[in-house]
Amino acid sequence: MKWYDRITMIDRRVIYLLLTAFVIIPFFIKVTIPQKIMPQTRRLFDFVESIPPNDKVVMISFDYSPQTQPECHPMAKALLKHCFARSIPVVGLSFEPEAPGLAVDALVSVVQEIDSLAAKKEDSLVYGIDYVYLGWKSGRIAAQLDMGEAISGVFPRDYFGNLIDSLPLMQTTKNYKNVAIVIILASADYPIDWIRYPQTRYGIKVGAGLTAVMAPQYYPFVQTGQVSGLMSGMKGAAEYEKLVLDHGYARTLGSAETGMNSQSMIHILIIIFIILGNVGYFFSRRQKGTQK
Amino acid sequence: MVLPMSSDPWIWIGAILTLMIFSFLYRDNPFYKFGEHLFVGVANGYYIVYYWHNALKPNLFEPLSAGQFVYIVPLLLGLMYFTRFIPRISWLVRIPIGFTIGWGAGLSIPALFQADVLRQLEGTVVTPTTFSDLASGIWAVIILVGVVCTLVYFFFSREQKGLLGSASRLGIIFIMIGFGASFGYTVMARVSLLIGRIQFLLGPWLGLID
Repeated sequence: MKWYDRITMIDRRVIYLLLTAFVIIPFFIKVTIPQKIMPQTRRLFDFVESIPPNDKVVMISFDYSPQTQPECHPMAKALLKHCFARSIPVVGLSFEPEAPGLAVDALVSVVQEIDSLAAKKEDSLVYGIDYVYLGWKSGRIAAQLDMGEAISGVFPRDYFGNLIDSLPLMQTTKNYKNVAIVIILASADYPIDWIRYPQTRYGIKVGAGLTAVMAPQYYPFVQTGQVSGLMSGMKGAAEYEKLVLDHGYARTLGSAETGMNSQSMIHILIIIFIILGNVGYFFSRRQKGTQK
Repeated sequence: MVLPMSSDPWIWIGAILTLMIFSFLYRDNPFYKFGEHLFVGVANGYYIVYYWHNALKPNLFEPLSAGQFVYIVPLLLGLMYFTRFIPRISWLVRIPIGFTIGWGAGLSIPALFQADVLRQLEGTVVTPTTFSDLASGIWAVIILVGVVCTLVYFFFSREQKGLLGSASRLGIIFIMIGFGASFGYTVMARVSLLIGRIQFLLGPWLGLID
């Protein structure tokens, strides 16, 4: 067997083993591969940065499932840190049935982290004043449209069973007029409904944090301004974490930034495999041509 | 050396199931099959219970038991979907389907036309203000050429030769670049999931990383 035939027949298990090794190595050997911040991530960060403190709320729609947690969960945490550090109230909700557990986990871990750093009691975050989680709702298009009239009509109670009208934050957040932007963190095609229905009817600003598979589908909407900013996959999450850290809104980087070193290493490995495969294919085809 | 492994049984269950699923990378085996079937069963159970407690019960059965009999209408419409299983009255399924299509089309057509067609066309139009910045001007022209040539590629009413053929070939290049970008992003997404699992195994389970 010729060398070029051999490189096109590498056992897939060898490739899997190498991939696993390339993921693990960066966790133990300090490798820093510089990350360039993409304009769409910066646009989302700048939009949140431009919202005045204690004014309108940022609505976060947690619509990802445990399968895509490595991509979307760091986005949620970085975004929450950014909002809370700038005293922007957050209203969370979900239309993905698997998301509520993850949404509560992201809120609780970020709130605990911020509270542990609070110098005095007044600096701590209070549920119902600084943030609210509304929970899950079926029939999302109807719910999204109805919230333009009254959020309490769609969510009479929050996720924890409290009456919406009893929460101070929701007494001032009646509908989309009190929402600066809705940011959808999703692993499926959820943002398109926000663009087509509430944005078309009520003009609400839409941002997104999507899995890398979904992201290319939304670039045309970023270009037209229908999406005010976009985090794309783990890279987008890592970029947002870095922006939050660089602006002094967090003390440490999150899991996405750590994962990006492995991501970059794997990309290099995959590029090498693609080149090897093509070289092998080119030479074996040429050999067959000569034999004919 | 004793590793600071997790003592949480749920972490152990998660780690063992992860390894069972990963074992498929070597070859199909009973451990993988067990993990796969367990996942399907748990996911189905979760969705059934979740929809019962968060959709059917609060949105239908509780209002009905409180005497709001208007909810019989959506209940009947929903039940009509099941008439598919009874050939004699299966025609009844057309009623809820017609209702859903009518509602969906009425809601979607204007919204879709506004968001997906008009706004996208607006984004493709090149105006003098587009060239206020040279870079954005160049990109706008590239987008315009890309959109036109891609549309030409899908224009099958005339033979694609001459100017039409050249534009169509340029369209293929734009389509291929689009596919390449999508594939690259897909690889990135799948690798992210692997990284997430490895982070879980090395961190919460084995305690080797923070």
